[in-house]
Amino acid sequence: MSRTHQSGSSTVWSLVLFATLALFAAALYTIFVVAPVEQQMGIVQKIFYFHVPSAYAMYIGFFVSAVASGVYLLKRDPRWDAVAVAGAEVGTLFCLIVLLTGPLWARKAWGVWWTWDPRLTTTLLSGMIFAAYLALRSMGDTGEVEKRFASALALLGLVNLPLIHYSVQRWRGVHPTVITGKGGGLESEMYWALGLSFLAFTGLAALLIWARASIERQREESVRLRLELMHR
Amino acid sequence: MRVLIAMLVLGCTMLITPTALADSPPVPDAGASETQEDAAEERATQFVGVRGPEAESISGGALLLAAYSVVWALLFLFLMRMRGLQRQTAEELERLSAEIRASEGR
Repeated sequence: MSRTHQSGSSTVWSLVLFATLALFAAALYTIFVVAPVEQQMGIVQKIFYFHVPSAYAMYIGFFVSAVASGVYLLKRDPRWDAVAVAGAEVGTLFCLIVLLTGPLWARKAWGVWWTWDPRLTTTLLSGMIFAAYLALRSMGDTGEVEKRFASALALLGLVNLPLIHYSVQRWRGVHPTVITGKGGGLESEMYWALGLSFLAFTGLAALLIWARASIERQREESVRLRLELMHR
Repeated sequence: MRVLIAMLVLGCTMLITPTALADSPPVPDAGASETQEDAAEERATQFVGVRGPEAESISGGALLLAAYSVVWALLFLFLMRMRGLQRQTAEELERLSAEIRASEGR
């Protein structure tokens, strides 16, 4: 039964992997061949097609981490803790991508690498919260107290996520709102490029969280075996 | 993961430093245009660095290349780290299982 389940998981994993690779290929073709160059900003606007989906993948990672942390606090099941760690790591990876690709676009569009715009600041804050989570978890074999403290930190990070999303609507800033705003939006080819990138990054985030959680469960198992060996 | 955290901290520091070091912009003198200048005074007496987009023209293509390179490089590093972690954990599990089997055989 277990072997059948494992085989089924492996098939799903392979399907998601191939779908993600195909989506990335299609997204890159649409971004660089089909989608037109933006009139005002020029070619640098094409950073947008990876920058925005990276932010979305960051939301996925942090959201998964926070929810899994909440479930772990309720059930104390180490499998949920493994998912929380995986979500935090993957979310932080995409947060780093967002914080590095954003300034590269901003330098051309705004003339500065960084400005204390509400969306930029709240994104940086989220990155720092989950970096603190990972720093706490990377201190050797984490005990139960550290795990619970880290889970609470992840839940705190969850509170910040809606702030990132709604900051552009509630507070004045310079960050563009071409998707959620009431302006002209994007041209149809640009929507295609962005949509394909969104799908590709969703698949990528799911695969990375899945793989990282699996490794974390193995690490938990090795800690359990070590303890078992010590008590013999 | 420590590399990832270090990169995040370094990135944040690099973002904050220019703001912390920035001087307030020079205030233009409102009466300066009204004063009469002779030939000598028309010559430049100071050089002021232009702040903002007029200062230099950075190629959009180079920025685009840098952005996409950053994405692929970080993803590659993350995958390499996961691979290393998986290998290390598998070896540890193998070793511990062997030790447990040996202790049961005694």
